[in-house]
Amino acid sequence: MSGNASKKSFLDPRTKLLLVLVEAVLVLATAGGERLFWFRILFTVLPFLLLFTAGRYKSCITGGIVLGITLFLQYAVFPKAQGGLAMILLIVTSVITRFLPAYLIGAYVIQTTKVSEFKAAMEKMHMPDELTIPMCVMFRFFPTVREESTSIQAAMKMRGIGMGGRKASEMPEYRLVPMISCSAKIGEELSAAALTRGLGKSRKRTNICRIGFGIFDYLIFALVLATCVYWITGVIG
Amino acid sequence: MNKQTNSNRLNGRDLINIGIYSAIYLVLAIALAMTGLIPIFLILLSSMYGIICGIPFMLFLTKVKKPGMIFIMSVIMGVVMFATGMTWMPIPFSVVTGIIAEIVYRSGNYSSMKAAVLTCGIFPMWACGNYLPLFVQREQYFAERASYGQEYADAVMRMTPNWMFFVLLIMTFVCGIMGGLIGKKLLKKHFVKAGIA
Repeated sequence: MSGNASKKSFLDPRTKLLLVLVEAVLVLATAGGERLFWFRILFTVLPFLLLFTAGRYKSCITGGIVLGITLFLQYAVFPKAQGGLAMILLIVTSVITRFLPAYLIGAYVIQTTKVSEFKAAMEKMHMPDELTIPMCVMFRFFPTVREESTSIQAAMKMRGIGMGGRKASEMPEYRLVPMISCSAKIGEELSAAALTRGLGKSRKRTNICRIGFGIFDYLIFALVLATCVYWITGVIG
Repeated sequence: MNKQTNSNRLNGRDLINIGIYSAIYLVLAIALAMTGLIPIFLILLSSMYGIICGIPFMLFLTKVKKPGMIFIMSVIMGVVMFATGMTWMPIPFSVVTGIIAEIVYRSGNYSSMKAAVLTCGIFPMWACGNYLPLFVQREQYFAERASYGQEYADAVMRMTPNWMFFVLLIMTFVCGIMGGLIGKKLLKKHFVKAGIA
């Protein structure tokens, strides 16, 4: 997806995993409370920068618009709202401002990491194959499942099986069963393809992806470290 | 993990199967989790996983012939929950429930339908791990989620006295078994005919 196989990607997959983790802890679960407010802002902006440098302008702009609308609602509309509306606004805005950065960083990681790169990074971290192979397949498979599911949704809509339709009660069966069968069939083909590439052998597999830490990786490490240190000094002090 | 005999070791095909069914399972789980914004649904979430996700899980069980597969899938669930901000607690919890589910299905020699339905009941309990912080670190949990609004916190709080956790476990188990039975029916009705079970 990003350049050819021998070119090193902008960030090491391990760094990306660290970023996912930090986003989850800091922004999504809002660890550290008010003290880490500015760091949280920083980590909210970071996914946009990363998406921009990776050339994913569409995700970047869409995310920006959503965040903009949310902030507008939060700071301009919310103080004037009352009662039930205020509560709905509060939940919606707080959920979006917290989930969006984590979602964007997840989108960034999935869009810019090739499966082999992920595997190479995992091998360097000495994770067992039993855990990494299923996870690789899983990440490779998410878009497929979603694609199948949208097609099936369209097909079922034509037959009046949908959320608003007459046959809403039949939805689980007629949506789930085709989706699962399609995915299982595709999965069988995928495993046949992977086996011809030697996945079933117990020998150690080679990998042509060159991964390693570069200057940007160290910058992000420094940033995360600074956040942690600041957080800990706050807890102790 | 499994080095007793060569034929009992997981090969590439098994690992890929784990990946595929984890993906299906998680897509459904995430779709359901969106409803968790309404307080009552947050509590019912693990039970809904049991019913809806029981269908692909039953199909997954037909592919399980070797020890370890259910355990690995359970661990993956825990890791994904960790990565999506549910704190570290789901991981040890999913390890434990994974081992139990594994043992139950193993007692049926990886082929008994009864054991499969029972496993279907136990497996979704990993989702209860998400609630653990809610009970163990109650104050912190709500401090972190204060932004959801006081009403939301109060509503969740009212529904979750400490004994509620065990009720949730049992509810999840029962719903899981229901999911397993539905899955069994669908297996017969669709998947066996289509030649994928």
